[in-house]
Amino acid sequence: MPMWSVRSDNYWAAAVDRPRLIGAMLVLTLLGAMLMLPPLVHVFNQNITHFGVPQIVFYLFAVWLALIIGTALLNRALPGDAPDAGKRDH
Amino acid sequence: MLSADFLIATAIGYVGLLFVIAYFGDRRARSNTRSFLHSPAVYTLSISVYCTSWTFYGAVGNAARSGLEFVTIYLGPTLVFVGWWFLLRRLVRISHHQRNTSVADLLSSRFGKSNRLAVLVTSIAVVGIAPYIALQLKAVTSSIQAVAGSSEFGQGSLAGIDDVGLAFGIAAGMALFTILFGTRHVDAKEQHHGVVAAIAFEAVVKLAALLAVGIFVVYVGGGFEAIFSRAAAMGVAVDAANTFDSRWLTTLALSVAAIVCLPRQFQVTVVENSDENHLRVASWAFPAYMLLMSLFILPIAMFGLVTMPDGANPDMFALTLPMAFGQDGLALFAFIGGFSSATSMIILESIALSIMVSNHIVMPMILRFSPAGNGDGQGVTRLLLNARRFSIVLILSLGFFYFFFTRDSDALAPIGLISFTAIAQFFPAVLAALFWREASLKAATSAIAGGFLFWVWCSFLPSFQSVSPQVANLLANGPWGIAWLRPEAMFGLDGMDPLVHAAFWSLTVNVLTLALVSLVTRQSALERIQASVFVDVFKRGPLVRGNFVLGSATANDLYFVAERVLGERRAAALFDVAARESGVDPDQLDPTPEFIGRLERELAGSIGAASAHVMLSKVVSGSDISLEEMMQMADETQQVIEYSQQLEQTSAELRSTARQLEEANGRLRELDARKDDFLSQVSHEVRTPMTSIRSFSEILLDDSDITDGQRRHFVGTIHQESLRLTKLLDEILDLSALERGERAWENLPTNAEAALDRALLVCEAALRQSGVQLETGSRAGAITVAADADRLCQVFINLLINAIRYNDAPAPVLRVQSSILAGSYAVEIADNGPGVPTEERKLIFEKFSRGKRSPADTRGAGLGLAISRQLVERMNGTLELVEGPLCGACFRVQLPLRA
Repeated sequence: MPMWSVRSDNYWAAAVDRPRLIGAMLVLTLLGAMLMLPPLVHVFNQNITHFGVPQIVFYLFAVWLALIIGTALLNRALPGDAPDAGKRDH
Repeated sequence: MLSADFLIATAIGYVGLLFVIAYFGDRRARSNTRSFLHSPAVYTLSISVYCTSWTFYGAVGNAARSGLEFVTIYLGPTLVFVGWWFLLRRLVRISHHQRNTSVADLLSSRFGKSNRLAVLVTSIAVVGIAPYIALQLKAVTSSIQAVAGSSEFGQGSLAGIDDVGLAFGIAAGMALFTILFGTRHVDAKEQHHGVVAAIAFEAVVKLAALLAVGIFVVYVGGGFEAIFSRAAAMGVAVDAANTFDSRWLTTLALSVAAIVCLPRQFQVTVVENSDENHLRVASWAFPAYMLLMSLFILPIAMFGLVTMPDGANPDMFALTLPMAFGQDGLALFAFIGGFSSATSMIILESIALSIMVSNHIVMPMILRFSPAGNGDGQGVTRLLLNARRFSIVLILSLGFFYFFFTRDSDALAPIGLISFTAIAQFFPAVLAALFWREASLKAATSAIAGGFLFWVWCSFLPSFQSVSPQVANLLANGPWGIAWLRPEAMFGLDGMDPLVHAAFWSLTVNVLTLALVSLVTRQSALERIQASVFVDVFKRGPLVRGNFVLGSATANDLYFVAERVLGERRAAALFDVAARESGVDPDQLDPTPEFIGRLERELAGSIGAASAHVMLSKVVSGSDISLEEMMQMADETQQVIEYSQQLEQTSAELRSTARQLEEANGRLRELDARKDDFLSQVSHEVRTPMTSIRSFSEILLDDSDITDGQRRHFVGTIHQESLRLTKLLDEILDLSALERGERAWENLPTNAEAALDRALLVCEAALRQSGVQLETGSRAGAITVAADADRLCQVFINLLINAIRYNDAPAPVLRVQSSILAGSYAVEIADNGPGVPTEERKLIFEKFSRGKRSPADTRGAGLGLAISRQLVERMNGTLELVEGPLCGACFRVQLPLRA
């Protein structure tokens, strides 16, 4: 089953528990920071172009997109907070 | 052909549209709390106010000048939103609980509700944001001029007006608009649904405009590949070799701090947040928005550099490229997009700042200088609104003046980074507020102030370099010629990028001060309370919001507090006594200062003096701590007390268990020693007869010439010794069987006197042989006890033989008597021998104890008394050594009478 299918959040919520998901969020954040900072960023900072665009541009936007998709998936899988959830009274 | 007049008319029309959107947005939000204005989408779009004209115009210019660096401004916030669970969620939760209205309010409330800190943060924000506002003014001015300057016709009525005049006009217009927009009424929660609606609309407009320009550029340029290849062919390439240096790291870090601490970002992300779960959507949608905004920045920059004439301002490529290709409609759309990004920033930033100024600077002054109870609520509201209007004018004026003084600098992005560095000074304190319990008010204040001073010196001041020869001189030589104080080379740290240099020094000083001062200062009681409220925000249960306690305390409020802390009974007693003393009904008790003092002392006994004082002073004077919060404090203290009591109880139990274990261990050690003792005694006892048996049998074997008489004697001795050995082993077996209770035992009705008589009869020979005189005292007569007759007789014989054997008196006497003593049958066997020394009295019933007086005595194994005692105990009786009628020892056997 592809992870982005509609049923994926139920599947994930059942398979992965909350502390694990929060851990995954932390890892995603730290990994994102590492990937866009030297020295790791230099790994993809080669003088090559793909379709005329420098590789590093591709790389940075790809990391960026991966972070967005990763966060969206994790948020869908993460069960909601208590009803309170710090709701501001209207 | 576009003209400046047309642009300005369009801009005014656009502002009018915004106003309409805000008006209806407000009405809609009020009438329907479930409208789409409360949706995560609108929330996300409002956060996109982060993308200002810095993004719309400045990013292109930045990309044209320094390549990829522009993305750090969006990657930093992306990281913050990807990690929303750890920082933003906490920030939103705390701010909702604490009802924070701004970052200044947040810091002040965390650090002991200090107004001084709030004033400091507000002042720094106002000064620090000035370059950012100037950036927007500059962008709008440049964009109008870019259109107007392109032709004689374009100038229109702007002919003869320079950029300063234009910027002033824009600033004034913005001030007017923001005042009309944002200060129509004072909202207790400081939420502005109408404004948020307009901001969200503007976010859509600016994204659409930039995407339109980007797609157009890619289309005209023949696709991404063609644009990049053409740029590369002309020597314009993305400089990636030197991009990832300290500047990359610095701008990334500054943008992380800015997305959290910028007043307008705090306002939209935290204050305007109506549901924490909206963050879930925003956490990916806002980064996605920024990604879309950044997507075409590089192509636009590259294409602009290739196609535009030399000397064209790269900041304006998004506007000038469509114009250069004759696309006036698209150029107008781009202008509206840029105008949108500028107006949304200016509106929201000045509203956020004006709230800070009015709440933290103007309001406390009003409260201090106007007599209490004077004036109604209406007057205060009007005063507050006027303070905000004044603040907006002040903030835009500061922005305009900054623009005026630095108008010669051409790039947009560096101006924004000056503001980012200033705002980043709040970030360490915000992090400490959320995560570090020990951070203190003094530390936060001095850290922010220290960082700010370094910012002024290293970042703010150098930006006036181009307009002021004095500043230029200062930069070159340092103040009074002190080289190590040069603003861009502090302490001789030369050759660094000025931004990196300023950020490094200001933030280093900031963080170090925060950490070190926190370690050496003490927190006040209120600071400690607030620190735990902040740090433990997710550990406590949902907070029930109650009414705020205002005005003087009523007996009800005090009782409510007292009952929670002291318990119902004590609180009621306290209040009853007070009521009786003042002679009123408990319901109508009017709390006097004396009574409150007494109550405070009572409370201090339970929760400590500091907490009691804070609680009562809050109830009594009326403040923004609600009664519910105080109750929570009391509950927490109660929980801590209970917990510590449980701990105490547990540790007492542990102590007692340890003591029991120690005792058991001692007993075990003693038993072990006795076992060893016993074994060595047994070996010894066995060895003596064995030795004589062996030696006699050796003689018999080896010596052939011994006489018959001798042989008979030797064999007799061997026989005797083996008998003794057998008897000893029998006794040991007997004793161990008795001790382990192996042998079947039956206590039958027995005539005890008969047993005693039989024993005396058995011992008669021994008596006569040793010349002991037997005295028979009173006898109990026929008595029936539950016992084993033979065994009882054995006990008596043992005692009698002992008394005969160890009696070394010149005229030995043995006295036997029996009686009924305290309901039991007692036999006393006494002699006038040496008696038992005091130190041996405990030991004589032990196995192999024969008494020290007769070490050479080998006639008994020393098991007699031990066996006797075991036997008597089996018959439910006792055998003990008592003070006897004679000078020697006296053993008493006591057996219960048979019922």
